[in-house]
Amino acid sequence: MSVITSILRWARKKSLWILHYNSGGCNGCDIEIVDLLTPRFDIERLGILAEASPRHADVLLCTGPVTAQSKDRLIQIYHQIPAPKWVIAVGSCGCSGGIFTGSYNVHGGIDKAIPVSLYIPGCPCRPEAVIAGILKLSETID
Amino acid sequence: MGLNWLQEILTKIECVGPFDIRRLPEDETWVVIPFDKVFDFVKLIMEDDSTWHLSAITGQDTDGQIELLYHFWLGHGLTICTRLAHENPQIKSITALIPGAAFYEREAAEMLGIGFTDLKDESVLLLSDAWVKGCPLRKGKKEKHDD
Amino acid sequence: MMTKLKIPIGPHHPLLKEPISFLLTVEGERVLESSMRLGYVHRGIERLCQERTYVQAVHLIERICGICSHVHSTTYCHAVETLLGLEVPLRAHYIRALLCELERIHSHLLWLGVLAKNIGLDTVFMYTWRDREIVLDIMEDLSGGRVSHAINVIGGVKIDLDHKMMDIIIEKLEELAPKLTIALGLFENEPTVRLRTQSIGVITKEEAARHCVVGPIARASGVDIDVRRDIPRPPYDGLEFNVITHTAGDVWARTLVRIRETRESHRLIQQIVSQLPSGDIVVKAKRRVPPGEVVCRFEAPRGELFYYIRSDGSNQPARIKIRTPTLPALSTLPEQLRDVNLADAPVILSGVDLCIACADR
Repeated sequence: MSVITSILRWARKKSLWILHYNSGGCNGCDIEIVDLLTPRFDIERLGILAEASPRHADVLLCTGPVTAQSKDRLIQIYHQIPAPKWVIAVGSCGCSGGIFTGSYNVHGGIDKAIPVSLYIPGCPCRPEAVIAGILKLSETID
Repeated sequence: MGLNWLQEILTKIECVGPFDIRRLPEDETWVVIPFDKVFDFVKLIMEDDSTWHLSAITGQDTDGQIELLYHFWLGHGLTICTRLAHENPQIKSITALIPGAAFYEREAAEMLGIGFTDLKDESVLLLSDAWVKGCPLRKGKKEKHDD
Repeated sequence: MMTKLKIPIGPHHPLLKEPISFLLTVEGERVLESSMRLGYVHRGIERLCQERTYVQAVHLIERICGICSHVHSTTYCHAVETLLGLEVPLRAHYIRALLCELERIHSHLLWLGVLAKNIGLDTVFMYTWRDREIVLDIMEDLSGGRVSHAINVIGGVKIDLDHKMMDIIIEKLEELAPKLTIALGLFENEPTVRLRTQSIGVITKEEAARHCVVGPIARASGVDIDVRRDIPRPPYDGLEFNVITHTAGDVWARTLVRIRETRESHRLIQQIVSQLPSGDIVVKAKRRVPPGEVVCRFEAPRGELFYYIRSDGSNQPARIKIRTPTLPALSTLPEQLRDVNLADAPVILSGVDLCIACADR
C-alpha cells in the first residue's frame, strides 16, 4: 500500500463525516442523534462532523423503518453518497422494522432498501451507543 | 354542564331535522343526524357560538355502514355522528365553512373511500404514491402497496 | 419578468429533522406559493392498534412520537380507563402530570434550540440543548429512559416517587430556572432576534380558528384555549397556573408563549411535588373492555391531543382515532408561505414546531 493510500485510510478512519436521515421513525432516535452535536456528547471532538449534503458524507446514519413513501428517497440518497461509504441502521426500527412490523405502509428495516454495514439496536438508541457504534465502524475500515 | 347549553344545541338540531342524542363519558354529547343535514347544522353551530373548535373528523367502518364523526369543542364536547352507505359513500364537504377540515376529510377519504363533494384538493394525504388500491381502515383484507 | 423556479425542501433537508416535502414556487427572492407532501412517516398506527390488544397498544402508542410519547400514552390509558369505569388513584394522576410537564419543558427547549439554529444562532442551540439535558437526566432518574419512559399502564403508573427523587427534581429544576431567564431575555430584548422573527408567519385570530389550530400557535394569535384549564381533571383542577397568550400571531409571539409556558410548567411541577398525595399508584384493569365509545383530550406540548376509542367488548380496540396537534398547524403553512421572502421560509417552518411523526402517524 502506498504512502498516499495509507494516509487517506488514516484520515478516513479518524474523521468520518455523517449524514443523518430519518426514513420513517418516531423521532426518538433522531433527537438522540442530534444530541450528539450538543456539548454533553460532542462528537466533533472525535472528528465526526454532521453534514448537510449527501455528497460530503462518508456514513449514512439512518433511523426509522422504511415506509413506502420513503423507500425511493432513501435509495436515491444512498446513491448520492460517493464511495467509500457505509450505512449505520440506528434503533430497533432501523434494524428490523421494530414495533411497526406488519403495517401496510412499512417495508421493514433499512436493509430492505440499502445495504447496511452496522446495526445499533435500542428503542430509542442512547447517544453513547451511537458513538460506540461509529467508533466500532471506524476500526473495521481498511 | 349547563342545561342552557344543551337546550341551545337541541333547538339548533330541531331546525335541521330528526335526530338521536345521548351522553358519553368525559362531558361529550353525541347526536346522530342524517348526512344531508350535517352542513346546515355545522353552519348553525358556527353562527352563534364564538368559541367553536373542530377537533377532528373520524371515519369508521361499523357493521354494514360507514360512520362519519365530527368532533367539536364548544366549551363542552359535541360529536355529530352521521351514517353513510357502505358502497360509494358521499357527503358534502364542510371546507367552505371550516378550511381546516380539509386535512381531516382527505384522510377520511383515503382511509375509508368516502367521497367529499366540493372538496377542492382531493389528493392523497398520508398514503404513498405507490399505493395500489384499497382502503386501509375498511374491514377485511388489507390491500398493499406496489413493491 | 423573472422566471419562476420550484425549490424543494425535503424530504431530506438540513432544516428538517423529519421527512416532509415542501415545494416552494419562487420568483426572484419571493415565495409565491407552496405545496406539501406528507406521508413519509406514515406507519399505519391506527390500523396496527386494531390488530393488537389494549395492553400491547400502549407500547405502540408511546412510539407514535419520540418527543411527546408520554402524553400520547397518558391520553390513551385515560380513555381506556374511562371505558372500563376505573377509579385511578390520585397519586397516579399526579405522577402522570409531573411527567407531562417535564415533557413540555423538554419539548419547548428542543424547539427553541432548533429555531435558534435555523435563524443562525448556533450558540443558543448549543446552550438550550445542553440545558435540556438536565430535564432528560430527571426523566432518566425517574423512569429509566431519557426519551421513552414506559411509565403508564392501564390502571395507573408503574413507578413511584420517593422523597429522594422529589428532592432531586426540585434541585435540578432550580438549576434550570436562571437559564430560562436568559433565553427569554434574549428573545424579548435582543433587536436582531426580534428583527428576524417579528411580523413573520403571521396568523390572525380568525385564521387560527378557521384552520382549527391549537396549542401555542393558537395562543400566540390570541385564541384562549388550553385543555388543562378547559377540561378540569386532577391534578390540574387543584393547581394554579396561567394560560399564556399573546396577540401578535407571528413567530416572535410563539417563541415568547413557549418560553413563558416553560416557566409555568416549572411552577406546576413545584406544586405537584409539594402536593403529591399518598396512596396506591395503580388499580387492576380487566383485559376485556365493555362495548362503548369515549372521546379524550389532553394538552400535549404542541396543543390539544385528541383520541377517540370505540370498543366492541373484546380485548382489542375496534377503532382508535388519533388527531395530533401538528396536523392543523401544517394546514396553515400554505397561507404563511404565500408572498414571503425566501430567507424567511426557514423561520416560518421552524416557528410551526413540526412534529411530522405525530402528524403522519
